[in-house]
Amino acid sequence: MASSSKYKFGLLWSVGFVAFALVPVLMTSRYQMNLASHILIWGLFAVAFNMLWGVTGMLSFGQALYFGIGAYSIGLFVNHAGKAWYLPAIPIGLVAAAMLSFLLGLLVIRVSGVYFTMLTLAFAQLAWQVTFKWYDFTGGDDGIQGIIAPGILANKMVYYYFVLVVVFISVWFLKRLAYSPFGLILRCVQQNPNRVRFIGRSVKMNQLRIYVISSVFAALAGSLMVGVDNSIHTDMLFWTTSGEVILMSVLGGINQFFGPFVGAVILILLEDIIGAKTEFWPIFLGTIVLIFVILFPKGVVGEIQHLRHRLKIAGESGGRHETHASA
Amino acid sequence: MDLYFIVTQLISGFTMATLLFLIASGLTLIFGVGNIFNFAHGSFYMIGAYFGYQLVSVWKVNFWIALVAAGTGAGLVGAAAEFLFLRRIYGRAQEGGFQILLTYGLILIFDDLVKLIWGTEYKSISKPSGFTGALQLGDIFIPTYNFAIIVIGLVVVVAAWWILAKTRPGRIARASAVDREMLGSLGVNVPLVLTVVFGLATALGGMAGALAAPLRSVTPGAGIEVIIDSLIVVVLGGMSNFWGAWLGAVLLGEVNAFAVAYLPAWSTLFSYLVMVVTLIFRPEGLFAPTRLRKV
Amino acid sequence: MSGRKLVAIAFVLVAVCLFSGLASAQDKLVRIGAMYPMTGRSGLYGMDSVAAAEMAIDEINGKGGVAGYKLDIVFTDSKSKPAYAVRVAERYITEDKVHFLFGVVSSGVGLAVTEVSKQNKVIFIGTDHAATELTLDNYQPYYFRVSNNTFQSMTAGAMYLKELQKERPWKTITYIGPDYAYGHSQLEEIQYNLKRFGVEYQLISKYLPKLYEPDYTSYITSIIKDKPDVLVCGFWGGDTVAFIKQAKAYGLFEKMLYFHPDAGGNYELMSAMEGEMPAGLVLSARHHNNWPDTESNRKYVAEFKRRTGRYPTYAAEGAYAGIYAIAKAVEKVGNPDNSAALIKALEGLQIKLPEDPEGFTSFIDSQTHQIVQMQAIGISEPNDKFPPAKMMLGKWKIYKAEDLLPPKELLEKRMKK
Repeated sequence: MASSSKYKFGLLWSVGFVAFALVPVLMTSRYQMNLASHILIWGLFAVAFNMLWGVTGMLSFGQALYFGIGAYSIGLFVNHAGKAWYLPAIPIGLVAAAMLSFLLGLLVIRVSGVYFTMLTLAFAQLAWQVTFKWYDFTGGDDGIQGIIAPGILANKMVYYYFVLVVVFISVWFLKRLAYSPFGLILRCVQQNPNRVRFIGRSVKMNQLRIYVISSVFAALAGSLMVGVDNSIHTDMLFWTTSGEVILMSVLGGINQFFGPFVGAVILILLEDIIGAKTEFWPIFLGTIVLIFVILFPKGVVGEIQHLRHRLKIAGESGGRHETHASA
Repeated sequence: MDLYFIVTQLISGFTMATLLFLIASGLTLIFGVGNIFNFAHGSFYMIGAYFGYQLVSVWKVNFWIALVAAGTGAGLVGAAAEFLFLRRIYGRAQEGGFQILLTYGLILIFDDLVKLIWGTEYKSISKPSGFTGALQLGDIFIPTYNFAIIVIGLVVVVAAWWILAKTRPGRIARASAVDREMLGSLGVNVPLVLTVVFGLATALGGMAGALAAPLRSVTPGAGIEVIIDSLIVVVLGGMSNFWGAWLGAVLLGEVNAFAVAYLPAWSTLFSYLVMVVTLIFRPEGLFAPTRLRKV
Repeated sequence: MSGRKLVAIAFVLVAVCLFSGLASAQDKLVRIGAMYPMTGRSGLYGMDSVAAAEMAIDEINGKGGVAGYKLDIVFTDSKSKPAYAVRVAERYITEDKVHFLFGVVSSGVGLAVTEVSKQNKVIFIGTDHAATELTLDNYQPYYFRVSNNTFQSMTAGAMYLKELQKERPWKTITYIGPDYAYGHSQLEEIQYNLKRFGVEYQLISKYLPKLYEPDYTSYITSIIKDKPDVLVCGFWGGDTVAFIKQAKAYGLFEKMLYFHPDAGGNYELMSAMEGEMPAGLVLSARHHNNWPDTESNRKYVAEFKRRTGRYPTYAAEGAYAGIYAIAKAVEKVGNPDNSAALIKALEGLQIKLPEDPEGFTSFIDSQTHQIVQMQAIGISEPNDKFPPAKMMLGKWKIYKAEDLLPPKELLEKRMKK
């Protein structure tokens, strides 16, 4: 089972990479590449977020804070120190996100459940409000426009491949992490924290570690976004941004590593297709959210796997099994 | 600093606090009893305001009757939403996140329905007759309608506390927060309790909407504007405590009132600051129930 | 369970298929890609703009179009989100191959879209966002704005206050406006202009509540304590409604002059307040339903009412003006494809609009790409000709369009950046 699934993953992995790599070749308009960049970046953000929620059971409602730090690090350096700082600003932003998430992490992991959710929301909203008000430094709610990546990255197609490579390496890293011994401990933190203590590991320490890792990758996603849109806004730090990754995770499936990524694909395409055709998009999107939450809680990826599993059982024993309690 | 102004500002803060509390009270109730995180609570506030508009401005119903009717109407919508959707996800792993998402879906749907029925124009309700003026004590002004709101807020907090603490239905509701299985085995219809409580909670939100409508503008999207502040109040109060929510609202209202008077340029930062500072020192709110406190 | 799931899957698939059908393209079209908020609080402005743009297009196409082309417009809800609007603008440019980007209510969205317009060299007609920096600091040749910006309304406001000092001596001002760029720049601009006109006054306090603040009680009692002679207000839409409703019971309007020169005179305030609207407030807006009392304005307002069942807010006239500007420019150039020629045509373009009084025609300033229009400031008084409003503006003071432009030194300072 383990080796065959590894093989299958490798296959899926290459198919996904090739599909995204072919977008610029097959596209009929540059917009499709733009859309694909958004999907890749949000996909990374959502996968990183789900390491916290789906894997470790920590529902943060404030990951927008780190997404914003990644983006504003570039924007602020370019604006105040000059264009040459574009690339150095990316690692600086990641370090800043790591430091801040470590400090805030010490505060937020003291509580669990809905208190954790609320506390992360409070910090993110505070950061949003400060960014929003601090005109001289952050540009306030006007945001910062005209941030162009340096050199060859200014070319949209080159930038697209840059995003593709960074996102795939990051997601690959996160996947390795999720299935490493550390990842197993994280799952254990969610399902049975006491057992983590019995084997001599600290629950809090592991929670803090994954909080920092998830935040750093959220910041990376934020910094990649700058080169796609060429402008940044305080919206990136607003709670709706945090809400978006939760939505993506559920659509794709929170118990599947690639679920959130698939969720990003679905949500971005849905928003785009429905938004383009009707002003009444909220009622359609709302209905789809209800349908998923109530009928397909495993998400697209989870339901497909579940279906395959059931077909297999049906094929083997000739009978039908209702097995939706297990996750 | 003259004393008159300080008293005036205290009363202003209190008025704001009362409306905040009235909106947040339903959120507290449903979290305290049902452990349900209703992100769409603001939408019921909005629905209540629109029902109030329809009754008072279009059908010319008496304001106070309309207030009760609008609350009831919002409560019925809420009970229906619980019955049709929310109860299907109880007990699921990671239920909290699914609750947020499900109720977020409801926000989207309700916003659009309101737009379909009443359009995008701003609607308004006139204040009830006899409540358009102001009480005056020396230099202190209190509009009579604001005074009425404060009184209603006090009545609600006392009544809710009394019902929950002293009556049999209240005890059942509290019991369902602690152990649903045990309550069920005692012969109580737990799903029904949850539907009723959800209906009551959204009725409170709807009533707050109708009550606030004469002071605010009734527009689509009005719900999303009050939800974050209500959340702050509920969190400050310890998530499931009526007195806590009331005090949380007073704290927020008063801090805001004096921030506006003495630090106007930064006043908008304060609600988040209060929340962050409180949660750093008391991570589970000012009035956390002991059963939730962890060592 | 699985039956229900099948139905649900079918719903999703049908929804997606329904919406992904491609519109068949016809030849000889001037394609316009519009973005307006259609949901939430600013949805009213968006829906009014959509209705007015469609009205202008029907009028023009009804007369056979321009230069052999028909106008064709597509609308998308911008959701008032800059990042989403950028994506929509990209789609318009590369998929729909639009000739013009169009619309936008929020200045934040406007600033993000003007960046897309600049990089793709596609003309962007701004219809209803007032931030002055779009035509100064963030000026770029492909951007044009067809409604007055806050600088123009604040210049008119400062002139009004200067004249007022003679009739009714006042010395102190308090400012209240929403805490974002729009609220901040109105304060800066009224101060700048009062100083420029040599008005002696004192700003004794300023308040900046958050946008969409539902409760102004603490602000109101604090303003009353400050006892200013004039309260200058920079809210828009529902915030104005809530503020006035809450301030009325405190008798704020008897204690000071309420002065709201950019968006205060907008029709949705009069209609939302109905009988509760106080008289004697000094207000203005970028278009008024009862001024100027010309054939053209009456016809425009009546036609809008006939099509939608409601009277227009000022946002509508901006969109209406934008379509006519595009039509005129295309007519001059003969095609919608040559953007360099279109820019030339738009610069200095004269368009007769409903809001132009007799003897004046709006024109686009060729240096800043900002439309230049008259500004009328009025006082609220009983008038029930535009129900459900019970008050409209009257006792107009009119400010000449040319006088409202930024002075040269300011232009040079801010356009260089």
